[in-house]
Amino acid sequence: MRITLNRRPVDVPDELADEPLLFLLRDHLGLNGPRFGCGVGSCGACTVVIDGQAERSCIQPATAAQGREVLTLEGLAGAGGLHPFQRAWIEESVPQCGYCQNGQIMTVFALLAAQPDAGAADIKAAMDGVLCRCGTQPRIRRAIARARALAAGDA
Amino acid sequence: MPRLSRRRVLAALGWGAAGITAVAGGAFALMPTLPPRRPPTPGDAAAWLSLRPDGVFELLSSRAEMGQGISIGMRQVAADELGVGIDRIRLVQPDTGLIPVARSTVGSDAMRETGPLVARAAAALAVAILREAARRLQRPAGDLRLAPDGVMDGDALVLAFDDLGAAGPLFVTEGEVAAATPRLLADPSGRREVGRARPTHDVEAIVTGSRPLYTDDVRLPGMVFGAVVRPRTLGGRIRAIDASACAAVPGFLGLHRDGAFAGLVASRRSALARAMEVLAVDEAEGAAVDSASLAAMVDVSAAVGGLEHGVLDDGDLGDDPFDVDLTLAVPLAAHASIEPRTAVARFGDDGGLEVWTGTQDPFFVRDSLADAFGLSRAQVVVHGMRIGGGFGARTIVAAEMEAARLAKLCGRPVKVQWSRSDEFRAGFHRAPSSHRIRLSADAAGRITRWHHAFRSGHVIFTSAAMGPGLQFATGFVADPGVARGAVPAYAASAARVAFEDVRLPVMTGPWRGLGAAANHWAIETAVDALARAKGLDPLDLRLRSIAPEHVRLRAVLAAAADMAGWPVRPKDRPDEGWGLACGIYKEMSFAATVARVTRTAAGYKVTGLWCAHDCGLVVNPDQVRAQVEGNLVWGIGMALKEELAVGGGRILPESFFDYPLPVLSDVPDIEVRLIEGSPQPTGAGETAIVSGTAAVTNAIAAMTGRTVTALPVGRA
Repeated sequence: MRITLNRRPVDVPDELADEPLLFLLRDHLGLNGPRFGCGVGSCGACTVVIDGQAERSCIQPATAAQGREVLTLEGLAGAGGLHPFQRAWIEESVPQCGYCQNGQIMTVFALLAAQPDAGAADIKAAMDGVLCRCGTQPRIRRAIARARALAAGDA
Repeated sequence: MPRLSRRRVLAALGWGAAGITAVAGGAFALMPTLPPRRPPTPGDAAAWLSLRPDGVFELLSSRAEMGQGISIGMRQVAADELGVGIDRIRLVQPDTGLIPVARSTVGSDAMRETGPLVARAAAALAVAILREAARRLQRPAGDLRLAPDGVMDGDALVLAFDDLGAAGPLFVTEGEVAAATPRLLADPSGRREVGRARPTHDVEAIVTGSRPLYTDDVRLPGMVFGAVVRPRTLGGRIRAIDASACAAVPGFLGLHRDGAFAGLVASRRSALARAMEVLAVDEAEGAAVDSASLAAMVDVSAAVGGLEHGVLDDGDLGDDPFDVDLTLAVPLAAHASIEPRTAVARFGDDGGLEVWTGTQDPFFVRDSLADAFGLSRAQVVVHGMRIGGGFGARTIVAAEMEAARLAKLCGRPVKVQWSRSDEFRAGFHRAPSSHRIRLSADAAGRITRWHHAFRSGHVIFTSAAMGPGLQFATGFVADPGVARGAVPAYAASAARVAFEDVRLPVMTGPWRGLGAAANHWAIETAVDALARAKGLDPLDLRLRSIAPEHVRLRAVLAAAADMAGWPVRPKDRPDEGWGLACGIYKEMSFAATVARVTRTAAGYKVTGLWCAHDCGLVVNPDQVRAQVEGNLVWGIGMALKEELAVGGGRILPESFFDYPLPVLSDVPDIEVRLIEGSPQPTGAGETAIVSGTAAVTNAIAAMTGRTVTALPVGRA
């Protein structure tokens, strides 16, 4: 089985086909970005982007990624440096403990990549399901606005 | 007469009315496993900071990073004292193999206790470096000065830091630290980093995933995954385990038992989960406790006679009826950190034990493991990792002991990561409490009589960390965690505050703010109800009644009211209300909050929050603001959402689907004003929690005309 992980082809041994995608990425491919929070898709900390769609990797089997493009937090930055969402997250000083921020960034990244003109209701629908216990919500909102401004400036 | 004897013990030890701090120190002495709780000393600080051969200053942190920002703050303090850029300060998370025994990271104490010492160590190191440079260059030290890259003579760099460190790391002595005079407090004009807003330490790694930060990022050669078999019911006992069906699960390695302890080990996490599913467990179920029976166990109105622990007993309350008489209820609630408890353990060939874990108390973990495995303290090393949300949950030993036991039993390095269900079922929680508050005010709008009686599950003397013997021993002592924040900031000619801690069949323990979160909600709810009963503005009643010595509380209250435009706020109406609340945390930090709450079809929604906050000297305003915001979001959760439901003898939630937290659209923009009312830092990690919850529920009361008497409020 083969997946494309952060723009590179990766071969996955067949015996890992039914491993949850999150554990394939973390335990077998050594990634740190997607994180385990609940194991049942209730918090969003494990979010990755598969073919442009934000998915909770803890409830997806590895086979769900077969032949598809998986993007994780590690793959967000490009040749030009940090992605606007990563820059905005630093400039607005969003993280406290930081554990959930993978899910915050990857979810809003997928939303706005697919729907650049997403409004407040779209953001609420996508982001209300990505939990943060530290209380960074006001800064997440500011960082989203800043990232959109950065992206607009880059264009 | 057990009640009588408990009172006598308290009296004999002199732990009476104002002895809350003394209670804390004395009670900790009853817990033999805990390492010394002494504050850090210059001798400790001498071991924290050195100039390394690569020309970087290495700062060994003695306090855990859990998002409260202590790491970046300590780097800022050290950078300023040394006069170097912050990138020249390399911080190492707490590691029992590297630093002297340190206190746990609790009580919003880290910057207050360690910041000034880091400054002194850095000031001493600056002197030592100049002395060493003078010796090497054969020049008077007075001609030399420190600059960002090394030692300067006039405008010339004469010795770079990497040259200075080349022969070996440069340390300072205890005496030099003790004698040092840091600029941090004396000369604000020299500050470059202190007072500057910076994001949290390791922020780039957090937003890129570029390197290991948390315990789950630790991967050791040969490491396997373990999970503990637990009773499903509160007080349940496992009678028998049949693992025969697990053998068919590829990757399953074995069931390991040692007395009552039982755990599974597998080469992959999916195999571990599957083996746990097919494992047959026969359990003797515990008593059929539920949320209502827990509430009844702490119900203050069910208390017979006086409550055993006195906090305050001044003046005569008299027999007249009170203006308000409220009974208030706070339910069980979870920490709900997004990172579950996780630990990696490895026994070495020499019999020593290494553990990686995100803990608030690495030395407690070390000592507990050493005792459990018959090792010396030096044979156990605990490597502290960044914590994915602490909030008091990581103060005891949990996944660390499980990982170590399984590593011992299976002979390989083991990672144990709790499931979300483990977090709810096997973790400890905010104690439920019940409060009766009776208050009266005079015609001038000043509080005159104050009576607060409350009962609560344990906080510091958590059954999660103490066996039956210690539970019995501490049954004689007032739990200082329950009492925290119970002394009102309001002057009253007669005041009585008393409480009772109740041993519950569910594990309770430290939760952000300890008892202060519940006690302040109760106090500030009652003060607001008093204002309504007397037809007074709640701001005026507070300003008139705050005790004269609490000038800084008065100042934050006035500031929050000013920020929110309190005097000119719109009149409360059925779909919108304004509330305020204030309080003091640990007699040294101050917060006041105004909340605006709107009633929508979906329920109550907080649409505005303004907070004025005084924790003295602010090392990093961005991180302090973040702590204020976080505490206020906890206030929203506490007020509107959070209750850990118990039914049929079980903790019911298994995931976040069953335990709602505040989400993005629940949280408004938050305006924070920082006031630096003292030249010392006093702590921000829990302070604002004293005001957030009641500000929200008081706004609801203003809207509805009815006092909120039970948390959470839930749907409108």
